[in-house]
This record gives sequence, structure tokens and C-alpha cells, in this order.
Amino acid sequence: MPDFSLTPEQESLRDLARKFARTEMAPHAAEVDRTARFPEEIYRKAYDLGLMNLNVPTEYGGSGLGVFDQCLIVEELAYACGGMTTSIIANCLALEPIILGGTPEQKERFLKPFCAEYQFASFGLTEPSGGSDAGALHTRAQRDGDHYVLDGEKCFITNAPHATLYTVFATVDPSLRHKGITAFVVPRTAQGVIPGKDEDKMGHRASSTGTVRFEGVRVPVANRLGEEGAGFSLAMRTLDQTRTPIGALATGIAQAALDHAAAYSLKRQTFGKPIAQHQAIQMKLANMAQAIHAARLLTWHAAWKIDRGERGTLESSIAKCFASDSALDVANEAIQTFGGYGYMKDYPVEKLLRDAKLTQIYEGANEIQRSVIARELLRAYE
Amino acid sequence: MEIVVCVKPVPEAETRLRVATDGTALDPEAVKFVLTGYDESAVEQALLLKESVPGSKVHAISYGPAPRTEEVLRAAIALGCDQATWIDSGAAPATDPVDVARALAAAIRPVPHDLVLLGKQAGDDEEGVVAAALGELLEVPDFGFVVDLRWDAAGSRFKFRRASEAGLESWEAPTPLVVGLQQAWNDPRTAKLPAILKSRKAPIAKVTAAARSAEAARSRSVKFELPAPRTGAKLIEFKTPQEAAEKLVKVLREEAKVFP
Repeated sequence: MPDFSLTPEQESLRDLARKFARTEMAPHAAEVDRTARFPEEIYRKAYDLGLMNLNVPTEYGGSGLGVFDQCLIVEELAYACGGMTTSIIANCLALEPIILGGTPEQKERFLKPFCAEYQFASFGLTEPSGGSDAGALHTRAQRDGDHYVLDGEKCFITNAPHATLYTVFATVDPSLRHKGITAFVVPRTAQGVIPGKDEDKMGHRASSTGTVRFEGVRVPVANRLGEEGAGFSLAMRTLDQTRTPIGALATGIAQAALDHAAAYSLKRQTFGKPIAQHQAIQMKLANMAQAIHAARLLTWHAAWKIDRGERGTLESSIAKCFASDSALDVANEAIQTFGGYGYMKDYPVEKLLRDAKLTQIYEGANEIQRSVIARELLRAYE
Repeated sequence: MEIVVCVKPVPEAETRLRVATDGTALDPEAVKFVLTGYDESAVEQALLLKESVPGSKVHAISYGPAPRTEEVLRAAIALGCDQATWIDSGAAPATDPVDVARALAAAIRPVPHDLVLLGKQAGDDEEGVVAAALGELLEVPDFGFVVDLRWDAAGSRFKFRRASEAGLESWEAPTPLVVGLQQAWNDPRTAKLPAILKSRKAPIAKVTAAARSAEAARSRSVKFELPAPRTGAKLIEFKTPQEAAEKLVKVLREEAKVFP
């Protein structure tokens, strides 16, 4: 049986994240959202405190946390700013293929120097022609002696313009579809790695998102993660680990929306009393609280399963899908609770809606999550 | 240098306080106790000295009940203290500050201490007595309201300043010394995640506090009540500072009538 009462250790991790989120991130969230600035001074502090590279084992210089503990931290960070959180945790996604698929020598060579300094890594799977159909990616990796030559383009890559290291998925033979996909570690300094411009986004504006082109990039065979053709499975196993914290990120955004809405509803008066005393608002707040509670428990349950060494594909897809759909609904209802003020950028809730929207799209669109859920559950009926 | 820093578990500022059912004390149930305020400054001062004087060690000591006392000691270890001693008060800790100082003095006497640092007062009851009482009990000089304490290795003495309403006083004194620190003058550091994880496994020595003194036992807490909620506040809603100022002036003029 899972026991979700937190240990004193987990409480102190959550307290650290909460303190950082509320003192370092929250005061700047509105400004960086408005300006779409990449707040390096905040990210550097997150790194200094050990809040980046959460999933990297301690022997390689990371924080060595399991998925459950990552979720506790991510929810607290996202409560203050979803966009900053995306950039802070993007290293976890980018480095997970090395953690899961790297040899001890590769982990030593890539993870150790990477974690020893403040820097960013990016996960390069999605391409302009599509992200959900990852088996059909176009980026080519052609063997040339003890090197591969990479050609192609990746897009919507978190932190790409700032990254010093990329984990890149490319195909050695497109006719093989999934079975041709191979994973590589590519340093930014390799000849022919060309990061593109920062995208102008609806939300998560503190985060940086961009393209990366690979033009004849020579990558040593020693930088290949696993065998040729093992990349698709590695990408899926990576996402099995990192999907659940996205549920926590969505839950953090939703909790912020509820807290704003509840506080406002006690203050705002209509018809001679606070709107919190009107049933219409009470029903909204109750629905929001239910969705958040369910999202948090689904996330914690998925994380608990994965930390026990189980695959958790079904549970993490349910958690990510439900939490992100809920976050959008909750943020939307928070705006409605604020009425006209909620639509104004001077108030904090419209940002939460824009930030919540991305959680339905990235790390596997919710349509893909639903396909995964259906596939996993139909197995039980076959 | 052997530095002792005394810390106290204090309710977190955002905690919602309740009165215990017997009506004579704060209900500790559901209260989160933390290392805070003045004590954070004291720990920071200890760590700054440790970093500036090679070979120094910092020993955190706290008096109180389980589990809150152990938690603040772990917080002190996560910040960089080298060892910790928990003086177990039992379920009903002494409320008399001199009794607390006696318990601390008993734990400090047998351990090396060139300097004993404390917050000048606790963040909850703010009595500000323990540091002075501890100086008396240990028979060493004590100073309160201290900011910016340094070790002058050449002169073998501490140099420090006291903040008073009239200005800053500069002092110097040899070891040993008891010092009560002013709050947050030194921008206390935040514990890092790996240090927090490591602090969970650190050993904490435990000693049992002596029984309450006869003097303190003559008094008892009779009643504890929370301050009555304040009324009469008027919130002004606004979108721009200008609008806020206009509305405020209108209220001051037409309702409060403080302007003609």
C-alpha cells in the first residue's frame, strides 16, 4: 500500500523548493512573463541550491532524487512560475537518456562535468514535421568510420538556445521506422550545431524554446547511447520517467490558481457580501479543489509506482493527462472568479491559464497520453 | 575555534496558531516549527567565523521536546554546523527563560566553547533573557544586539559592534564570550539540497534536561489567548498606484475626515 504521508526528509525538500519559489521566483514571475526574459540569475541560484539535475545520481554530481521527490519539488516551483520551472527541470529530461542508456564510462564523461557547473542540456526529439509520431523523424545519422554524421532539424526544444549539451534522436535508416532511431550525445561546440532563434510563446515565457539544426555534425561513435536502433525505446523509457513531474508542474499551476481565486472570493463583495458566500463561487472553488486533489494523488501514485521500479506507463500517462487538463480548467475558473479583473494582465490568473495550456501539449500531447492509456488498458481485455 | 550556537524551534510565521484545550498554552499540534529569524543570524555568524578561522568547528545546541528540536538541529546541520546536541526537555518544556539558560549552560559547560552565539531573542516569545542569563551562568561576559562579529587573530580577541538606537558601538573582548545576535544583518544562507539530504543521516547527541528549578516551579501559566481579530480595516482595490492614491485621499477626506 502506498503511504503518502511525507517523511521529514521529504518535508525539508519541499520546504526548500517552497522557500526558493516564493522568495526568488514569484517576485519576478510577472516581469519575466511580460518581457519573455530568460532569468539566468534565478536559474543560477536554482542550480547552486541543487534544484537542477534532480534526477542525476549523486555520484555524478546530481541530486539523486526519485520521481516522487522530484514531483514534490516541481509542484512547489510551478506554484510560483510554470515557465521558470520548465527551464529549471529541462535538464532532467535531457540527461535522463544518459542516466538510463549510458555506459558507466559515458555517464562519467558526460554527466560529471555537466553537473559540476551551471549549464543547460536539451532533449532533441521533436521535429518540424511532427513530435507525436516520433517513429517518423527525419534527422539522419550516417555512419562514417568511427563517427556518425548528423543532418536535420529539431524544434520546440526547451532551453535549446542556451544549452551546452544535446541528447539527439536521429535515424540511421528511415525505412526501418522506429527500429532505425538512435540516440546521441552532442556537445554544443561540435561543428555544425546551429541553435535557432527563441520562439515567442503564449505562456512559459520565462523559458526558452527554439530550434536546433545539425549540418554535417560529426559525432563520435563513443557518443552513441545504446545500440543502433535502440533510440526509440530509450526515448519512451525516458518519457516514462519524466512525464509524471509534468503532472506535478500542472498541479502547482492549478494550486496557485485556486489560492488566488479563494483569497479573492473572500475579499470581493457583490450584493452586499463576499462572493465566497455565493453558491455559484462556492461550487467553482469546490470543483477546483477536487480536481487539484485528484491530480496530486494521481501524480503521487504514478511516482510511487515508478520509484518502486515498476514501468508506470499507464499511471504516469493518466497523471500527466488528468493534471494538465485539470490545470487548464482550474485556471479558467479562477479567471471567471475574478471576473473582468481576471482577464487583465495586472492580475496573476490569466498567466496561469497560458502556462497551464502548454502542459497539455508538451512531453507527449494529451491525445498521445490517451492513446497510451487506451493501449495499456485494452491489453487487459484482449 | 570552538563555536557553540544555540537555536530554538519557533512556529513558522505563516502557521495558524490555536490555543491548547486546557487554555494555558499554544497548541503545538499542526504547528510547523522552524529555525528562523535571530537564530538564523546566529548560525550564519557561526558559519562565517568558521570559514574565516581555519580549524574552527560549530556545535549547534537546542533545548526542547521531540520532534521539533531535532528538526531545527538538522536544519542547522544542513546549513553547515558540524555537530549537534539535543537537550530533551520532555513533553512540557520550561517556559522560564532562566531555566532554559540553565539547561543550555549544563550542556555547554562540558564541551569546548570559545564563543557561544544565540539570537538576541527568540522569534516567538521575544523575551531576550536567555543570552544574558547564559553569560551569568557560564560566568563569561555577554553582549546583546551584536552585529558584525570578527576574530582578530593577531590580538587574540573578538571585535564586534552593537546596534543601539543612538548608533553603532564598537567593542572588543577575548574568549570565552556569549553573544546575542541582531536579526538578519548578515543575510543568512539557504541550505542546499544535498546538504539537507545529508543532514537527515547526521548523528545528534541527546542529553536530558535537569528538572525545573524550585524558583521557576513557583510560577505557572494560567491562560493563553490569541489577540482579538482587528476590525475597521478598509481595503482599497486599485489597478494603478495613481488610482490607489486617489481612492485613499477620498476616504481620508470624506470618511475619516482627517483632511478638510
